[in-house]
Amino acid sequence: MTSQPILEVTDLTKHFPVSGSALFKNKSVLKAVDGVSLKVYPGETLGIVGESGCGKSTLAKTIARLYEPSSGKIVFKGQDIGALNSKALRAIRPKIQYVFQDPYESLNPRHTVSAILEEPFVIHTQLSANERAEKVCELLTKVGLPTNCLNKYPHEFSGGQRQRIGIARAIALNPDLVICDEPVSALDVSVQSQIVNLLLALQKEMGLALLFIAHDLSVVKHISDRVSVMYLGKIVETSEGQALYKQPHHPYSQFLIDAIPKPDPRQSKKRMRLTGELPSPIAPPAGCHFHTRCPLAQKKCKEEQPKLVNQSSNDHLAACHFIEESLNQWDKIWASSKENAR
Amino acid sequence: MSSFSPQALRRWQRFKSIKRGYYSAIAISILIVLSLLAELWINNRALMVKYEGAYYFPTYGDILPGETFDLDYKWETNYRALKRQFKSEPNSENWVLMPLIPFSPNENDFIEGEYPPYEPSLASGHYLGTDMSGRDIFARIIYGFRIAIVFSIFLLSVTYIIGIAVGAAMGYFGGAFDLFFQRIIEILSNVPILYIIMIVASIITPNFWTLALLLAGFSWMGMTWYMRTETYRENAREYVQAARALGAGHSRIMFLHILPNSISILVTFFPFSVVGGITALTSLDYLGFGLPPPTPSWGELLQQGTTNLEFQWIWASAVGALSVVLTLVTFVGEAIREAFDPKKYTFYE
Ligand code: SF4
Repeated sequence: MTSQPILEVTDLTKHFPVSGSALFKNKSVLKAVDGVSLKVYPGETLGIVGESGCGKSTLAKTIARLYEPSSGKIVFKGQDIGALNSKALRAIRPKIQYVFQDPYESLNPRHTVSAILEEPFVIHTQLSANERAEKVCELLTKVGLPTNCLNKYPHEFSGGQRQRIGIARAIALNPDLVICDEPVSALDVSVQSQIVNLLLALQKEMGLALLFIAHDLSVVKHISDRVSVMYLGKIVETSEGQALYKQPHHPYSQFLIDAIPKPDPRQSKKRMRLTGELPSPIAPPAGCHFHTRCPLAQKKCKEEQPKLVNQSSNDHLAACHFIEESLNQWDKIWASSKENAR
Repeated sequence: MSSFSPQALRRWQRFKSIKRGYYSAIAISILIVLSLLAELWINNRALMVKYEGAYYFPTYGDILPGETFDLDYKWETNYRALKRQFKSEPNSENWVLMPLIPFSPNENDFIEGEYPPYEPSLASGHYLGTDMSGRDIFARIIYGFRIAIVFSIFLLSVTYIIGIAVGAAMGYFGGAFDLFFQRIIEILSNVPILYIIMIVASIITPNFWTLALLLAGFSWMGMTWYMRTETYRENAREYVQAARALGAGHSRIMFLHILPNSISILVTFFPFSVVGGITALTSLDYLGFGLPPPTPSWGELLQQGTTNLEFQWIWASAVGALSVVLTLVTFVGEAIREAFDPKKYTFYE
């Protein structure tokens, strides 16, 4: 990538205070996002993947400034939006839009479709009522909904249709970046790909950059230019999409990739199994956060936190002390899977 | 735009299907309308007088002095006497149309040679008798009902407006603002309202408005907790975040998104607040700290009745009216609550 990133996040953290008992105020913090850095380039899709509870949704909401960042920088088009006051922030909001996970929750149940889709124009433009109505119809057509549903309420639509409304609202003001927070995981499998395709088509048409959050790699696989894997508030690996699938560097990414269901039933046997629970982000394990579940963990892993560093020439970042061993492990599995396939 | 959401319609259907509450609502509405039109059917002014070819409608407006009808006094015409007079004149063209109950609530109707109270009788027209100073009880009950219901609706409007505003602001802004008002509310809730009113009543004579505002000033707190929680919850929901992501300002989020979604349930409290208002006014009147005499009042009637237990019709009328109205309103309240949350209150089925 040669162009300037449209979004550059540096060392972003988001901590939530967790109040202890009322008597002894030993407040602990939940480090939902713990020092995340990432870049998104204009027009590309960055996928962010991780188990539920790893902080990816919090990351998305903090980047969109729906949450106040605890520390770190969010630079959007050269402007640090982490430090903006609420007025300046409101002015920049149309350029960063958000598609929520649950289309049942993210549309006001008391507003009609036309009221929902008019809102962006009411807030940010001086358009007359007629012009707004026209815009709304355009939007509906763009996301593939009939224009005769203007006076319906959200509950009269299916989940997929509602998500289309949510997408229409997000693209209303021609944003540069759309953050998609698991936009299909609440939907029926049958409509998931429709929504993903709609997002891709809109991205092409409008030159959107997408930050696409998902909890499994299979959704992200088809659409992402680059993928970041998140574990317990940290990014453990970032790379160009295909490279990640071919040769995941981090042991955790290897598990995730291995868990993708294969179309070929002969390959469907799982070779790797992730043991143990996701540790609590209130008290994450010392050293490498993954050491409680990592088959390669050694003493060093428990003491020293690995840094996210470049592992090869083409921007393949991973955070692990034992990349060599990890790659060997992957090669073994890869070889065995090829044998299985034969 | 969101005139009648399907959910509202469903609730209305459910409300209608709960017969007891539905008919109580109809009955109470009729009672309110009748009481608001009380001048037209309980009054010592005539509805209509025909005198020497001219028509008079004395019900509303200034008093018509006796001279209007060539009587020898300047004060307000006694229409009941006028009616008797016209009747006694043979083949006269003049007539008086009196309301159904030809007494005014503040009027002392003395029967010669007898001391009030007079017991109920069809002949005298005092269907529920009179009180200790000869005022028609039925008239006082209806006019008293009007004052009580208007009083409690005014009271609850003020308490709701303050309560909703403070509660919503607490839930929305949170933090120090929230903490500050929590303490204020705790202090206010512990003030014994009766003493305050007794003190105030000994300094000024409370009228309708001062009494209502005074009561409201100490009873808006109940609503705030509810609104605070509700606002807090709605504020965290994603459709509000979506509005925020669009760059909506505080007032837009508050008035277009949060309030419409949190306020509808307040309807369920409405009837119970009405009951509370009526009870509060009645008890204050009973103790003599309420509205100044001779305002028609159930509390005052009850007080007369309990001090003169031998005249059963006085206390019986007050108790009867109070129980009928409070029961009706409570039935309405139960039905509304049930209509809003059929899962929680299913004892009707
Ligand atoms: S640093 Fe150690 S524990 Fe962490 S992923 Fe690498 S090998 Fe596993």
